[in-house]
Amino acid sequence: MRLEVILPIFIPLIAGTLSVVVWRSTFYQRWIAVLGTAALLASGLWLLSAVRAEGHVVMQMGNWQAPFGITIVADTLSAVMAVLTGLMGLVVAIYSLGSIPASHERFGYYPLMHLLLAGVAGSFLTGDLFNLYVWFEVMLLASFALLTLGGERAQMEGAIKYVTLNLFSSAIFLSSIGLMYGMVGTLNMADIADKLSEVEHTGMVNVLAVMFMVAFGIKAAAFPLFFWLPASYHTPRVAVSALFAGLLTKVGIYALYRMFTLIFNGDVAYTHTILLWSAGFTMVTGVLGAAAQFEFRRILAFHSVSQIGYMILGLALYTPLALIGGLFYVIHHSLVKTCLFLISGLVYRLTGTYELKELGEVYRHRPGIAILFLIAALSLAGIPPLSGFFAKFIIVRAGLEIGAYTLTGIALAVGLLTLFSMIKIWAEVFWKAAPEGMDMERLKAPVNDSHGRFMLTGIGILIAGILLLGFWGQPVIELFEVMAEQLMNPEGYIEAVLGGEQ
Amino acid sequence: MQLALIILVPLLGAFAPALRRRDPVWRLALFAGLPALLSFSLLLSLLPQVLAGEVLVYQWDWISQLGLSFALRLDGLGWLFATLITGMGTLIIAYARYYFEGKATSGRFYSLILLFMFAMLGIVLSENLLFMLVFWELTSLVSFLLIGFNWHSQGARRGARMSLVITGGGGLLLLAGLLLLGQMAGSYQLSEVLLAGERIKADPRYPVMLSLVLLGAFTKSAQFPFHLWLPHAMSAPTPVSAYLHSATMVKAGLFLMARLHPAIADTELWFNLVVPTGMLTLMVGAFVAMFMHDIKGLLAYSTISHLGLIALLLGLGTPLAVSAALFHLVCHALFKAPLFMMAGMVDQATGSRDMQRINGLWRYMPVLMVLTAVPAAAMAGLPLMSGYLSKKMLFVESLQVSYPFWTTVVPVWVTLAGLFSVAYSIRIFHNVFYNGRPLDLPIYPPRQPSRRAMAPLALLTLGCLVVGFAPALVYDKVVAMAVNAASGTLVPAYDFSALSVARWPMIMSIIAMIGGALFYLARNPLFAIHSRLPEVDAKNIFEWIVDRAIAYSQRRVYQLENGSLQRYLALILVTTVGLGGWALLRFDQWQGPIALSPVDAMSVFGASVICLAALGVVVFHHARLPALLALGVCGLFVTLAFARFSAPDLALTQLSVEVMAVVIMMLALSFLPQRSPHESSLPRWTRDLTVAGIAGIGVGGLAYAVLTRPVDSISDFFLANAVPGGGGTNVVNVILVDFRGFDTLGEITVLGIAAVAVYAFTRDLHLKERVAQIADEHWVADPHPVILSMVARLVLPIALLVSAYIFLRGHNMPGGGFIAGLITAAALTLQYMAGGLVWAQERMLTQFRPLIGGGILLAGVTGMGAWVFGYPFLTSTFGYFSLPLVGKFELASALLFDLGVYATVVGSTLLILANLGKLMTVAGPGKEIG
Repeated sequence: MRLEVILPIFIPLIAGTLSVVVWRSTFYQRWIAVLGTAALLASGLWLLSAVRAEGHVVMQMGNWQAPFGITIVADTLSAVMAVLTGLMGLVVAIYSLGSIPASHERFGYYPLMHLLLAGVAGSFLTGDLFNLYVWFEVMLLASFALLTLGGERAQMEGAIKYVTLNLFSSAIFLSSIGLMYGMVGTLNMADIADKLSEVEHTGMVNVLAVMFMVAFGIKAAAFPLFFWLPASYHTPRVAVSALFAGLLTKVGIYALYRMFTLIFNGDVAYTHTILLWSAGFTMVTGVLGAAAQFEFRRILAFHSVSQIGYMILGLALYTPLALIGGLFYVIHHSLVKTCLFLISGLVYRLTGTYELKELGEVYRHRPGIAILFLIAALSLAGIPPLSGFFAKFIIVRAGLEIGAYTLTGIALAVGLLTLFSMIKIWAEVFWKAAPEGMDMERLKAPVNDSHGRFMLTGIGILIAGILLLGFWGQPVIELFEVMAEQLMNPEGYIEAVLGGEQ
Repeated sequence: MQLALIILVPLLGAFAPALRRRDPVWRLALFAGLPALLSFSLLLSLLPQVLAGEVLVYQWDWISQLGLSFALRLDGLGWLFATLITGMGTLIIAYARYYFEGKATSGRFYSLILLFMFAMLGIVLSENLLFMLVFWELTSLVSFLLIGFNWHSQGARRGARMSLVITGGGGLLLLAGLLLLGQMAGSYQLSEVLLAGERIKADPRYPVMLSLVLLGAFTKSAQFPFHLWLPHAMSAPTPVSAYLHSATMVKAGLFLMARLHPAIADTELWFNLVVPTGMLTLMVGAFVAMFMHDIKGLLAYSTISHLGLIALLLGLGTPLAVSAALFHLVCHALFKAPLFMMAGMVDQATGSRDMQRINGLWRYMPVLMVLTAVPAAAMAGLPLMSGYLSKKMLFVESLQVSYPFWTTVVPVWVTLAGLFSVAYSIRIFHNVFYNGRPLDLPIYPPRQPSRRAMAPLALLTLGCLVVGFAPALVYDKVVAMAVNAASGTLVPAYDFSALSVARWPMIMSIIAMIGGALFYLARNPLFAIHSRLPEVDAKNIFEWIVDRAIAYSQRRVYQLENGSLQRYLALILVTTVGLGGWALLRFDQWQGPIALSPVDAMSVFGASVICLAALGVVVFHHARLPALLALGVCGLFVTLAFARFSAPDLALTQLSVEVMAVVIMMLALSFLPQRSPHESSLPRWTRDLTVAGIAGIGVGGLAYAVLTRPVDSISDFFLANAVPGGGGTNVVNVILVDFRGFDTLGEITVLGIAAVAVYAFTRDLHLKERVAQIADEHWVADPHPVILSMVARLVLPIALLVSAYIFLRGHNMPGGGFIAGLITAAALTLQYMAGGLVWAQERMLTQFRPLIGGGILLAGVTGMGAWVFGYPFLTSTFGYFSLPLVGKFELASALLFDLGVYATVVGSTLLILANLGKLMTVAGPGKEIG
């Protein structure tokens, strides 16, 4: 029995339900929020160390041998994503202590946060296609509820689009699962991979591949399916946006990586070419969209779309190095984008606005925050030696190695536009003279209350992560090499799942 | 180790001024100057080793898989540049002490300048190409911060942004170029790359790689047409301009070209790319400089011109061209920095940098005039000055170009450029110090510059003279060593005596000098012509381009992302259909080997009703109630279908879900307007119908294709193992609570979340209009009819019994926690409907949230129970027991799990219903129902 592989799902689930039970006490809920997410992170690390030692950790739920029961399985990718879930959860939980208004706390913010994390972790760790769907639903509903918390008009509009498009994704996903089951008679992903190779009609397999691609592409916010993201990311409380930015799209990306390395690896010329072009368009559309925005969070949201493109590009190039790059990008982007959202929240707290036109001079009065922003923003733009540089660098290198010059060129150009856009924020928010009507008193007043400290702690952890990824990348890259190796050779995964209880 | 210290000292030193920024300027200058001086002396101490031809390498792994390491290398070339960087840096720091006197920003300046020194040293001392790139980007970045130093001015912000975009973009191209170079050379270590020249030049990717690397170098070194950022970088404080834009940053590109010379240079392509670029830059810079009225502007364009000159020399490929290039590079640094310092002093003394107003300063600052005369003369290339020699070296090399066409063009071109450079050199000196009297200066009479501030200037001026008088001293020791390192071969000593007697260079020189002087004399009419030309400001053009690009992308984005949900859905569907259809084009056999089962009347009838009802939903969707009814019909017939195809559990579940769903939807829909307007136009309607139709038919076809093919499924296992392994004869229930209990756990969580979401969502919702409407309009005369409430009360215990029965038998017969939960919920809902919300709520024994939380917990904990016995999560157990009276019965741990499901279902359903119902009441939210 392998406790470590189920704990990352179980801890947030229990923490969430406990928080529901102690509904009236925000005091306990806050403690559970921090302790629960910290425990989640710890369990993720435990899992990671186990995976590093053994390659795969498998648990057959209910002791039913795969492919009959539900298998929970972690390879390096899953374990790393579980750690990421824990880290994001912890950071956002700490930040929330200082930034979530009491009215939200009383109406289920913390339970929903835990349950969202449970859904995310479940998606990363399950080895069963239908179970993946279930966790997607957990995630979708929890995120929808978080999105509407507060009930402002803009939130509602965003939430409606969010939930409709995502339910649409669920419908496609479910139909695809049904067709898949009809085709191979099994739901276990390893078993599907095993049996799908025997199916004769590549046409049908490819249609299924496309359907899964669309379903997960919607989740991942890829072109031309990304619309829910810019419609909704800027509407809720910034801690919620930050959590979404860190994890939600990553689940879609994870699912794409899983499906298109493990299951749909037969007709790469068809499937991965689609991914390739989708990646290119995603990068460009996102960054152009961002250029047209003048609201802090909306810029960040559009950049998320753009950067999803890089992650898909890593998968689409489909070489070990490219996978390393794409997945490194996933980790990097989670840290950086969450961090930037959190910083935007801090700036909002100091100034009361997210509009670039209404902001200015933050640098003069808050050089510390400015430097934090600069680190994160430059990392996002891929300036060395921050994390984003390596992410971009590896993908570009992988692209050049197999001669994908066009897409590599796009990736580089988009990098430049990203830099431009970050500089726009910097110049407008931090450099520019304060516009009239800006509340300077609040900006100048010292932040030494506990709220500010919680917020800064959350940001600080992420900045440390960004710097660590940059300066101490060797062990991370080593880990990712193993990860890519496992993904490129799915036999190990199939063997571990179907080969018997370990 | 010393190597690492050389670059680390400025980095560490950068912290002190930032942390002590309130200290007086002199102390900050000391904090900054000491590290710079220390690095400088360390370099000097290494000179003997370098002169002996040693290459010092220091290496530390960073990310070895990517070919990236902290690798430093000191050879002649690196030494030359590093010494320039640290030496010049020290002088600039000293100079800035006076420039920043009394300004609060000096701490920031000193930190940044040291940071910049660190970055520059990194570039010139890197052994690893990628490591060099890291510093390359760092210089762009720090220079961005330095150019934007006076960030309150919009010009500074824009200039900074423009320089970052251009140099940063160049950095990205360089990244691609260096990656290719590394792939071609098989290593990113410089020592190996430099030896792989033959292989690199033979590689088919060489042209791409070379273009990318050169673009990187050109952007950094302000080569035409990327030179535009440099003049706009002049909004930086003058010490910054003096350091970055004369001696260091702009030389980085040239350094790169020299550094990689053995590996990539001296091919025809190299010549064709570098020489014309250099020539254009040389000419454009020299020509425009003449017409700049701003001292710093003139210096900026002159810098561009000199950068072009050096690039040209690096491109020529004649035997001594690289020597000449590096020699001129040293000379340029020596004469350009003092001129910038002069500009700064004049600016501070007079409050203006406009040469049309600043005139005749010799009266006020004679010492400065003398100190300026030397570098200005050097810049003009007057005899005995350093610039004279380097310019002549250029003429000599230009005459040796062997490529046809270029043999005559190059010499003529450089002579002409030399002419312009003489003209602007005269101008900067004559205009500032002579040319009549000052015209309405902001500060008049000009302040006296401090004597001590001139010390760095004097030192550099001395340097110009030394090089001018004893060129061999500098050349033989330092430059030759750098050239050797750069070219990888031993370069013959330069014969300076031969230079002075060579005939053609002498003539070219004389032409340039006389022509330049004449050109200057004719300046007034020329200025008049120039002022009539339309003014072009690159910064504004850049901003204009940016604005247009933004507007364009805005339009594009809004075209695609216009906020319409229908459009988004349509796009998603079209994508799916398009990509899927493409894959299906090759698929010709829809019918598989399994024959269709016979069609009977009942099935046809059921299917038609479902289809018609579904159509009905679409047709009636503007009138909500009929649409809902049609939806109910659909659900009912699906239920019947389940029943017919022997799935009683599903039928039961579907039925109870259908009941609850209709009740909840009735509630929810009553808040909306009862009719909605017709929004869709006919074309859109057609579009939607087409897309949806194709998608539906496609999925139907696929299902058909799948179902008519045989498949081995895992369901046989479930049938075989339900009783022996799961202890239940109802396979569906065993799947739900045992085989796939984990799914169920997830699903009840979903249900719980939905309930919490509705609860949170409705808590503060005041539907004012709605409530007012209810107050004067009753849907029915009697909201709570007596008969209904009486019957409801009677039904309740029976319904609860039924649900208990269904629950208990679930493991073996159709039923189970989910269905039982729904039945209970339906029965309780009836109480709410019959007795009213308040009445029912008062009689509820519990709140709903604990029910939900408790239910999920119970299911989870039951699953965890298996851990105690060492089994995986959710492993179930069961046994048969017997009690008197009752007889033999079965207890399964799965029953507890099912109980959790039951509780969650009841709690969630009622929580949703009660909260929605509460909105209907006149009192609105009122007391919380949770």
